[in-house]
Amino acid sequence: MKPLLLAGTITLALIVAGCGADREPQVLNFYNWSEYMPQEVLDRFERETGIEVVYTTYDSNEALYAKLKLLDESSQYDLAVPSTYYVSKMGREGLLAPIDHGKLHGLDQLDPQLRDQAFDPGNTYSVPYLWGTAGIAVDAAAIDPAGITSWGDLWRPEFRGRVMMTNDVRDVFHVGLKLLGHSANSTDPAQIEAAYHKLAELLPSVRTFNSDAPRMPYLEGEADIGMIWNGEVVTGRADLPTLTYIYPREGAALWLDSFVIPKNARNPEAAHRFIDFVLRPEIAALISTEIGYATPNLAARKLLDPAVAADRTLYPQPEDLVNAEFQQDLGDAATLIYHHYWDRLKAGR
Amino acid sequence: MAEVALPPPRHRNLLRSALLGLSWGWLLALVLVPNLLVLAASLLNRDPTHFLQLPLTLDSYRRLLDPLYLRVFLDSLALALATTLGCLLLGYPFAWALSRIDGRWRPLLVFLLILPFWTNSLVRTYAIKQLLAANGPLNGALLALGLIDAPLELLYTQGAVILGLVYLLLPFMILPLYAVFEDLRPELLLASRDLGAGRLATFVHVLIPLTLPGILAGTLLVLLPALGMFYVADILGGARVLLVGNIIKNQFLDARDWPFGAAASILLTAAMALLLFAHRLARRRLRDGEAP
Amino acid sequence: MSGRLPRLWLALVYLLLYVPIAVLLLYSFNDARTGYRWGGWSLRWYRALFANDTLMDSLWNSLALAAAAATLATAIGALTAFALHRYRFRGRELMHGLLFVVMMSPEIVLAISLLALFLLVGLQLGFTSLLIAHLTFCLPFVVITVLARLAGFDARLLEAARDLGASEARALYTVLLPAILPALLAGWLLGFTLSLDDVVVSTFVGGPSYEVLPLRIYSMVRVGLKPEVNALGTLLLVFSLLALALSQLLLNKQKS
Repeated sequence: MKPLLLAGTITLALIVAGCGADREPQVLNFYNWSEYMPQEVLDRFERETGIEVVYTTYDSNEALYAKLKLLDESSQYDLAVPSTYYVSKMGREGLLAPIDHGKLHGLDQLDPQLRDQAFDPGNTYSVPYLWGTAGIAVDAAAIDPAGITSWGDLWRPEFRGRVMMTNDVRDVFHVGLKLLGHSANSTDPAQIEAAYHKLAELLPSVRTFNSDAPRMPYLEGEADIGMIWNGEVVTGRADLPTLTYIYPREGAALWLDSFVIPKNARNPEAAHRFIDFVLRPEIAALISTEIGYATPNLAARKLLDPAVAADRTLYPQPEDLVNAEFQQDLGDAATLIYHHYWDRLKAGR
Repeated sequence: MAEVALPPPRHRNLLRSALLGLSWGWLLALVLVPNLLVLAASLLNRDPTHFLQLPLTLDSYRRLLDPLYLRVFLDSLALALATTLGCLLLGYPFAWALSRIDGRWRPLLVFLLILPFWTNSLVRTYAIKQLLAANGPLNGALLALGLIDAPLELLYTQGAVILGLVYLLLPFMILPLYAVFEDLRPELLLASRDLGAGRLATFVHVLIPLTLPGILAGTLLVLLPALGMFYVADILGGARVLLVGNIIKNQFLDARDWPFGAAASILLTAAMALLLFAHRLARRRLRDGEAP
Repeated sequence: MSGRLPRLWLALVYLLLYVPIAVLLLYSFNDARTGYRWGGWSLRWYRALFANDTLMDSLWNSLALAAAAATLATAIGALTAFALHRYRFRGRELMHGLLFVVMMSPEIVLAISLLALFLLVGLQLGFTSLLIAHLTFCLPFVVITVLARLAGFDARLLEAARDLGASEARALYTVLLPAILPALLAGWLLGFTLSLDDVVVSTFVGGPSYEVLPLRIYSMVRVGLKPEVNALGTLLLVFSLLALALSQLLLNKQKS
């Protein structure tokens, strides 16, 4: 009898302990990408405001969008960080609450080129958090980076089986469309199909698709060249110093991750306070240094270590971004066409 | 089941109603109703904002027959079958050998079989990934021994996914087989040999039929989970190897095509029903075969 | 079929099972940031593990959930098993069949069917939804375990108790319960293990207010190499070994 009694007692104790946490007076439910906010920033915010941050993670915009839709009624999130055009998609579908600009300080310090984007005019729903580009990564130990200038170089036969791509339909089609001289935001079925045929030629070369940690296949020794986000190169260089980032001449993919507040957030007040906290130059600089992505905060950029600020991988020169393009929301019909060819692409081995 | 039939309780009492109510209650609320909901979802139309909308349609099932998805399903099935075969080839001799070991050691050995379960299966999948990487210890050892000149491409292949699945599911094949082998009387095999049957004939005509229930139970326990364990394909297959589980998960959490995901899930349920039915048939035939 | 070959085969399979665990153990003490280089012995990943609040929180969440789900499943499962064993009723075969089906259902099928249910009734995804889902996939295992034990139970004992004037409930409590206790414990342990290790079901029915360990590990593993995960795996292994040794000790004591 005793073991059972013991088990029951432990169970009860654990349940009680588990419930206790929910009764904290102030909680900020923060839904963010994995490893996308330094623990130190969370700790400092908690110490300063007394608001407990519950940090949960997603690994794709699709997953974030699906969870927000599913939990629309009960709304368990106070703050989230969707990428680029997902802001407009979610805003249009009424999933977001407008940002109260009066509660934030330092919005004017944000890079004007990254404010007021087409996907959120006037920053009604979003405040830029971090931004970057998707370009080409090369392991200089295996391939001379000087010879790589174009997305088309991925197709070279000597790289067969050593190429990796991000596992994202729009990223991959960005490469195909750009190479054919089209916009990465094309909604023309003929252009999308042409890009599909072009990409199908690349597929035998592709070793793996990875959007969770695109640096890893290089570190594992499984890939030498491929598509990557610039910050991943910065992080990856700590373990693989030969990892090199290249801006392809057809144009990199630009992206911007922004804070948004879900419509039914229980604690929008805390969410505003957190955004305000991150807008502080010293906090923004800390985040950029720790996470390895570029901050849109111009005041923070001045505080950065000169070596970081001058790193072209993170902070590109204007000539690096010729032809670069933000992805836009293309609407349901065009999105279905993309998914149709994406499924075909990945199944057609 | 060899149960001693109980004399029925003398009167219908409150306890009986309460217990039956409880048992039926959870089965209906948590099993029957949810599955009917999925069936209903599979017959609806996709809606970009509200996930589902009327009218009823068989569209999702039609799409399952699209050569593209049909091929993915068949590939996934082939992968799961390869996993099952791998488990059987490793597990059958293992279970037999285990049942012949000195009785004192057997509990310890069975325990060692189950022990890895208490480290999270994700952690173990992750360990396999580290092991197989081009820069990992396996390739490192082979290179150091001079057996290979360049790292082998092990990770991000179908083989890696199969290995991962076999690794995670092997005990589910071994345990039912072991249970059968423990009850097996070795005299039967000796008798067969005494009667002049060769090793192969003894194996095919005596051992296999006698252990068939274990083989079937193990196959069920391995094949069905192998179709659905999407995280193994994600981690070890590099998003290039798709299991039915990956498709279902993508439809629900990424592509937001619920009717299609539900239809794929119904297909999986149907496959399970078919396997269970085959299992029942085989057992019945086995029992009938013993009778005369 | 005799001689060394069987033992060799046993050794081979155990090697296969334990090589990844050995890699895990070894790398948990590796000082290097990636597992692909040896940087000397170090305990830094254990320190990192204990400093990782979100990971430790999810560990406690998972333990609490597993204990609660296993306990409830044991209680309900034992009662269901008893009903199946003791009473002859219409649909008994159906109930047997359904139990088997739930046990065999691929987790992903169970997960989406429960998700559909929770959305329909408007249940918030979190501890409660996880508990109900985990309870559901643990239940059939408890029922089967307890049923097997009941099959070996001499029902006349129960009748004797009734004849001596005990109510049905009292007879069950004083006579039957002690007899099936080992099965209850085994069922509880099985449920606890299944719940603690579940990835698939939690992916669908979990909510942000209650993050469980496997999902936390999943996102950590996906974003790159996390040597803390190796340390965690090693600790889980050590703790389960300790728990087992302890229970063996207690059992032996009880016997003597």
